Amino acid sequence: MSPTSALASWPWRMISFLFWYAKAFVLANLFVTLDVLRPRKRMKMAPAIIAVPAASTSDTEWTLISCLITLTPGTLTLSISREHQILYVHGMFVASRESLVREIQEMEDRMLKALRRNPGDLSRPLRVPDVVPVDQPPGGELE
Amino acid sequence: MDIHDFLHGAGLVFIFLGIGTIIVAGIGLFRLPDLYLRASAVGTSAGLGVASIVIGVLMMDFSWLNLAKAVVAMIAQLLTSAVGSMAIARSGYLNNSLPAEITHTDDLLKTRRDQHADSPDQSTT
Repeated sequence: MSPTSALASWPWRMISFLFWYAKAFVLANLFVTLDVLRPRKRMKMAPAIIAVPAASTSDTEWTLISCLITLTPGTLTLSISREHQILYVHGMFVASRESLVREIQEMEDRMLKALRRNPGDLSRPLRVPDVVPVDQPPGGELE
Repeated sequence: MDIHDFLHGAGLVFIFLGIGTIIVAGIGLFRLPDLYLRASAVGTSAGLGVASIVIGVLMMDFSWLNLAKAVVAMIAQLLTSAVGSMAIARSGYLNNSLPAEITHTDDLLKTRRDQHADSPDQSTT
């Protein structure tokens, strides 16, 4: 994408992200509400905590994507690992690992395209790295 | 006065929608099995409920100053409910509040030092 055309499509990307997020937000609210009101035996809940590879780089992007995920009812950011580029997301309706990862990554793609003047490279590590606990934890989560 | 009446009715609809959302969130507090489901479903649903009530009141009493106030109030409300939910859930996890039995995958468990060392079988629950 050339610089000028990227600049021209930037406002459009922002607006389309806002509308897309509003739609996703309302739909998620509807699903969660229906499931809460459903009799206990027929609840469709399948919660899981999934490590989602992320493409965010700057502080702003990490903060925004974790806030947006939490703001959507039914999904919740539990923790992030910037070192491994992983978001730990708790989902309420997780059919499979792939479905939640796809959902979160679509949101992130759209957010990054709306946030960056030139979206650039949105590729993520293909394999989820195995995070091995260390004896000496880093000083803060963000280091 | 026609448009005024219409806005008044729409405002009432939004206010009752917000009240309904908050009531459902309250029911969810009792019905959902663990901390994380409650934080993810209820924390932000309550945020949406308040935001919806603010929209309703704005429609019933519209002015440009009120619009600015409502936008600020909604952004602050949604942001704080999201950050609060994350803080509660994260501190719950760090304080050994394990997810409910129906949680079928838990990747975060691998990063725990104590769970990882002696009882790897718990990750299969």
